[in-house]
Amino acid sequence: MARFVITLPAGGDGGRGPRPDFPGFVTDLRRAFGPFDHLAQAGRAAEIAGFGGAFAPFDPEGEESLVVAAGLLRQSRWLRLVAGFHPGIATPVYAAKVSASLQRFSADRLDWWLDVDLDPAVARAQGDFLEGPDRYARAEEFLTVAKGVWSEEGYTYEGRFYQVLAGGFASPLTGRRFPAVHLSGTSPEAYALSARHADVHVFDPDDDIEAAPLPGVAYGLRLPVLARDDENEAWAAARHLWTAGGETAGTLPDPDPRTRLWRGFPSPGRAHGPGLVGSFETVAAGIRDYIDRGVGVFFLEAAPYIEETYRLGERLLPLLAKEKAHVR
Amino acid sequence: MSVDIYWRIGTHGDQPSLRRRVASRGEWAPVAPGSLAPGIRDGERDGYSYVEHMGDVARASEISGFVGGLLPSFPNTDDPWAAAATLARETTTYRFMIAFQPGFLHPVQAARMSASLQRATGGRVVYNIISGGGGPDQLWWGDRVDHDDRYARTSEFLDVLKGVWHGGPFDFDGRFYRVEGAGLPPALAGQPFPEIYFSGSSRAAIEAAGRHADYYLSWLEPFHALAEKFDQVRAVGGRDPKFAVRIDVLARETEEEAWDEIRRGWDNIDPSVLRDATGDSIGWQRSRSFVTGAITGHRDLEVTPNVWGGFHLLRGGPAFGLVGSYEQVAERLDELIGLGVGAFILAGVPHLEEAYRVGERVLPLLRGHDLRIESPLLEGTLS
Repeated sequence: MARFVITLPAGGDGGRGPRPDFPGFVTDLRRAFGPFDHLAQAGRAAEIAGFGGAFAPFDPEGEESLVVAAGLLRQSRWLRLVAGFHPGIATPVYAAKVSASLQRFSADRLDWWLDVDLDPAVARAQGDFLEGPDRYARAEEFLTVAKGVWSEEGYTYEGRFYQVLAGGFASPLTGRRFPAVHLSGTSPEAYALSARHADVHVFDPDDDIEAAPLPGVAYGLRLPVLARDDENEAWAAARHLWTAGGETAGTLPDPDPRTRLWRGFPSPGRAHGPGLVGSFETVAAGIRDYIDRGVGVFFLEAAPYIEETYRLGERLLPLLAKEKAHVR
Repeated sequence: MSVDIYWRIGTHGDQPSLRRRVASRGEWAPVAPGSLAPGIRDGERDGYSYVEHMGDVARASEISGFVGGLLPSFPNTDDPWAAAATLARETTTYRFMIAFQPGFLHPVQAARMSASLQRATGGRVVYNIISGGGGPDQLWWGDRVDHDDRYARTSEFLDVLKGVWHGGPFDFDGRFYRVEGAGLPPALAGQPFPEIYFSGSSRAAIEAAGRHADYYLSWLEPFHALAEKFDQVRAVGGRDPKFAVRIDVLARETEEEAWDEIRRGWDNIDPSVLRDATGDSIGWQRSRSFVTGAITGHRDLEVTPNVWGGFHLLRGGPAFGLVGSYEQVAERLDELIGLGVGAFILAGVPHLEEAYRVGERVLPLLRGHDLRIESPLLEGTLS
């Protein structure tokens, strides 16, 4: 079965912004709203709407993902939380230690998404000055050491970046599932790292998935979606998204007839990113195409988060309930 | 000045009493009938994890009037960041005092985690910064920086953490850390900076504390030794930190009842465990140094009235704690306030039930610093 994961708002309030005042004659019992109240609702929505997981990306402008994951794991029963971070945040021993507790607290529902190839300026602002292939060499050591201390008492390691002597977790920190490792990238270094360490290699919609040399690794896909009852309604919403981003209605791009991808989604770092627009049936068909190409895990992106999560859970996921991931 | 009183949460399981050194809360001992969190139900584990009990202790502490709790960190404990983030939304006023070693997290990441936690809790994060006991544990963590350098690293860590806290761009180029154009994003900046409780007994620790600590935190020691230590910290100067003491408490209706509880635990100690601890932590060495005479019974470890140096034999952790009636324990705490103590981290086994007891029976008896210190309390050891 394909698995569906909803991408969480990194900015805490999910872009809702402050709540306008009521007219004075309307009784207003609203208490001060905490930034995590929205996140908590987004996580609850994913749990209730039947998603298999929620993804808290590494976002230098947003909340810290492990803190977000811990809070949402606590208030869900089934949801898996994928926390995105880069290898420079902590020693691999400490990242593993924090994660071991989270697995204990959540019945093994935490997963990792390692962002190896950050934008250089972003990386330096995080205190990370490694560049080029060294980043993959360090990520390789990071994952090796994290997995080593996780599963081997008395673990010792001597590498370029990390050292451990007589380390390794003891009972009861042992025996939990190591977080499923999500990696991405299409460079030879990225594929080499994934071949050794990834449980899921995550692609972008435009990537040449068939060219990836990754037998035995599950494939994931980051996919913005905009799905409505019918095509007209979906494209009206797409037009609204397009003009809300500052573009004029006349420049609205058409979807690619072959891939069905529409290049009009707001996308950090790019003018516009590709995703699927259409009726629930059309979007489901587009997802089926990716399933046929070997994708088994979908990281859906849709805003506003809470409403769209419910909508997709009620209307889109049922259309895909019988889909098998063909190869992975 | 008001005194902040915290109550510890064990991150390494808990015992039902000090009478037997067997942890049945959490699975640090084999899970069996009678184990809690996880427990056994119809022959199977009940699916609860130790964090459920930690949440109960947090709520008991909050209900009983403690301002928060210390979450300790050692190799075989649950992690304080993970626990605080998990329990953030289950309490309302409870402050999470997170113990951590600066070397393991990058300061920018620590800032991001802290700011997110401040947002999740409404500003209830407190730091207990430890720079490492040293010895084999430090290598277990993968940290090879030696003792004095760890304090230099801690100083740099806090420089960077504070530098990015209110936004950027912040540049830093030090021995241990380097950042360029760093700073918390607008969504995370502007949170209150966590209060810092700083541990460490060495000269290097005290110097670093002088620069960064809001509270200089010590384990309980005989009061004359604490007074000397406070004087040393004051002499180093710096930010003129306030003092905090971490104290195990065994308080009962009567003095006899309290000591009888200790005796029951004492009778179950294997004599071979009276051994030296390892590691280069000066705190450990100091604790041991007060107890040098022949030890024939539990009261031999009562170094000064109500100050008992044998808690480490009855449960994991530091040696000294207070034993006595509710009134006696309250008087000793008042005397410490008189020495300049502005915050306590109290603890008792079992943490859940003792939080209620100490909150209900001891804290209401406190009178504050309006007390003269009795001279016997400031005299030397019994050796």
